Amino acid sequence: MTLEAGHNHVGAVAVKGRDETLIKVTQVSKKFGGVHALKGIDLEVNAGEVNALLGENGAGKSTLIKIIAGAMTADGGSIEIAGREHSFKSPAESRAAGLAVVYQELSLIPSLSVAANLFLGREPRNRLGLVNRRKLLRDADEFLDSYGFPLDSKARVSDLPFAYRQMTEISKALIGDVRVLVLDEPTSALTSGEEEILFSAVERVTARGVGVIYVTHRLKEVFRISHRVTILRDGRNAATMLTKDVDMDKLVAEIVGPNHNGLKTAVASDNTLSQPGHGNGVSSSSSPIFQLKAVSNDRLRGVDLEVREGEIHGLAGSIGSGRTEILETVFGLRKIKAGTMSMDGKEVSIKSPYEAIAKGIALAPEDRHEEGLILDQTIEQNLALPRLKGLTRYGWFLRKASKAQANLAMQTLSVKAPASSVRVKNLSGGNQQKVVFAKWFPPVPKLLLLDEPTVGVDVGAREEIYGVVRDIARSGSAVLVASSDLLELMILCDRISIVADGRVVTTVNRSELIGEEELHRLIQQSHSFSKELS
Amino acid sequence: MSQTLTSTMPPENGFKRASTVLLSGDRPYLLYIAFALLLVVFSAASPVFFSVDNFLNIGRQTALVSIIAVGMTFVIVTGQIDLSVASTLALSGMTAALAMQHISNNWVLGAVVGIATGGIVGLINGTLTTHLAIPSFLVTLGMLGIARGIALIVTDTKPVLITNQEYWDVFGEGYFAGVPVPVLWTVLIFAIGAVLLHGSTFGRRVYATGGNASAARYSGINVKRTTTISFVLTGALAGLAALVLTARSHAARPDVAQGLELDVIAAVILGGSSLFGGRGLIVGTLLGSLIIGVLNNGLVLTGVSSALQVVIKGVIIIAAVAFSKK
Repeated sequence: MTLEAGHNHVGAVAVKGRDETLIKVTQVSKKFGGVHALKGIDLEVNAGEVNALLGENGAGKSTLIKIIAGAMTADGGSIEIAGREHSFKSPAESRAAGLAVVYQELSLIPSLSVAANLFLGREPRNRLGLVNRRKLLRDADEFLDSYGFPLDSKARVSDLPFAYRQMTEISKALIGDVRVLVLDEPTSALTSGEEEILFSAVERVTARGVGVIYVTHRLKEVFRISHRVTILRDGRNAATMLTKDVDMDKLVAEIVGPNHNGLKTAVASDNTLSQPGHGNGVSSSSSPIFQLKAVSNDRLRGVDLEVREGEIHGLAGSIGSGRTEILETVFGLRKIKAGTMSMDGKEVSIKSPYEAIAKGIALAPEDRHEEGLILDQTIEQNLALPRLKGLTRYGWFLRKASKAQANLAMQTLSVKAPASSVRVKNLSGGNQQKVVFAKWFPPVPKLLLLDEPTVGVDVGAREEIYGVVRDIARSGSAVLVASSDLLELMILCDRISIVADGRVVTTVNRSELIGEEELHRLIQQSHSFSKELS
Repeated sequence: MSQTLTSTMPPENGFKRASTVLLSGDRPYLLYIAFALLLVVFSAASPVFFSVDNFLNIGRQTALVSIIAVGMTFVIVTGQIDLSVASTLALSGMTAALAMQHISNNWVLGAVVGIATGGIVGLINGTLTTHLAIPSFLVTLGMLGIARGIALIVTDTKPVLITNQEYWDVFGEGYFAGVPVPVLWTVLIFAIGAVLLHGSTFGRRVYATGGNASAARYSGINVKRTTTISFVLTGALAGLAALVLTARSHAARPDVAQGLELDVIAAVILGGSSLFGGRGLIVGTLLGSLIIGVLNNGLVLTGVSSALQVVIKGVIIIAAVAFSKK
């Protein structure tokens, strides 16, 4: 079907109004070995509607999405699209039925331009059968403009910041005859400014009568963007409600279920923001454990930073500001060209992660699949990695001691797995992130560096991770957290440093901030401030 | 055990389950079966195949491939490859023989020089691969030519005779408890390799480096050093293989063992190691080497033409890798 015909079709749907059901999933079930991942799920999306799909990690969201996308077949139940029953055996069949899925992992070709990626495999041709570049760019610009995506169609994808790559991915999915668009945690790597662009794009999509299934862990977005909420818990429908009928408390209660008390605390609701004190009430008199003075290298331009004993210190700033690079420099992954780093008042030089670890520094990196874990190895093997030296006698690896240590670490962080011999790739996202954490304690590190500690982690696991971080700070360690989730920084940190263009522009006490919005304003201001400087 | 497994499962899944168990990379069950099958086929086809003498014979013929394959397992598990081992072997044999001819006709000196030569070649391979970030495929492809060329240049392509009786006995021709020494060296190297890869902390570093190099680096593992040591190990073992070969032929020739690297790599891959790194077992490499050895031996004994032998070996290697992929 051509693009033209697709428009007509969607237009017709829009005229029929919002009540027409585009996709109807009935009693879909799925087993993996002995595990019942889905125990009969229902899901409906109407034309022009955003249905937010919520649930903790392991609740069955990913499995359901894979079945709808044709990447997996269901064991039972049915999927109807526009009244016709389908059973997808491949992603191509699902796509042909008008379903488009945007996954967390991107599928773009980095060396090609945005336009070339958008029309990959369906490039406009000239009379000689060659790609008509001018038309390609024109079509791409037209298409991007129609959705309001601020993308340069000529830009090479590898040159784009992550957020814009994701935008390209979403635009690519929208090309063609799409009736239902599935977005799998589209905002997990976006900053608030970029989120708004995504939201407005989603609104334009729904205005054309397309239905959207929106998977997210960020509950605030649900109220911003969705019309309906479907909540999964343990492979079952926990609740399906209209967004206008629920509030944040009810949402959290349905997601975590009846057995989880006390979880409705800090994570979701804004009113906890007024509570002061998060670590052990760090006073300005406690001594700095860690200091950076005028540290510069290829990405940093004179960073001054000080983290005190027992303090949770946040690093806020937009993507590319140097947040992550500060952590990488401290951990010995980037060379320092100028400036000094000191711990406990003494100047130190750290040239490799090995040296950093030896000095009691730990880093939980942002990308757990790329940098945090060896997915193909077991929990025990992963947990042993930073501690190899302590687990060695005469060159011999102490297998039993490693297992004991792994079991202890799993218990401390309540990693949900039958044994430490389970491969990490078989764990849910939240549990994987706990393993990344468990690599570093016990013993408790002196300085814990966290980069986006809860990306892709569900509400329950998120709260557990916050608890662990607070415990570590309470025991006297210093914690440095880089995050694009401002609410997270507000919940966790004692002080927050605003980073822009490779330097710390200002540091504020958490208690001086009134709300997330104020932090956001500070970041925006720091941007222009930093520009004036340079 | 297998009976209870099958009985609890629906019949159509039984086959699927059995095949996933057999083909999974953790324990090379399929390899055991393939090996047993080969033994049965050749025993039926040749009356002399199934005998202690012939098996010791196979062990001796396979020693070069087996010894180097242990080192190659480390290199492949770190996610690299070494194409230069056959040339390294030739060069190491030459330096060992020359040292005994020109410095002192002492077998220990020859052994040290030969193994050290291999180790140095490995060090160069490893250093270029890790510090200049050139893919090891290209570095060792270059080294394949360089080492062979040097071996040819030093004596202007002439062989160097070895006249040291102890050297012949220790590495090539001696027997101990009725077993030829090349077989004993093979067993020793496999034992050391298994302890190093599966029991030592270094082995953990090797798996981590090949499993996910950046995660290993973020965990404080020196990925470059781990990789380089694996190359040094492989080079040194190529040096040891050179001692075995030259001790049997009483001379070092610069043109020996051409194409041996393919048998070595085939043995490791047949043994279930992943070319993408992170997976592999020493016991798998042992079986892979033996399969290569049994094939060579059995095809000769059953009178298959040498041209057809090469074809059959190629088919078996591709089939084995195709199976182990899924």
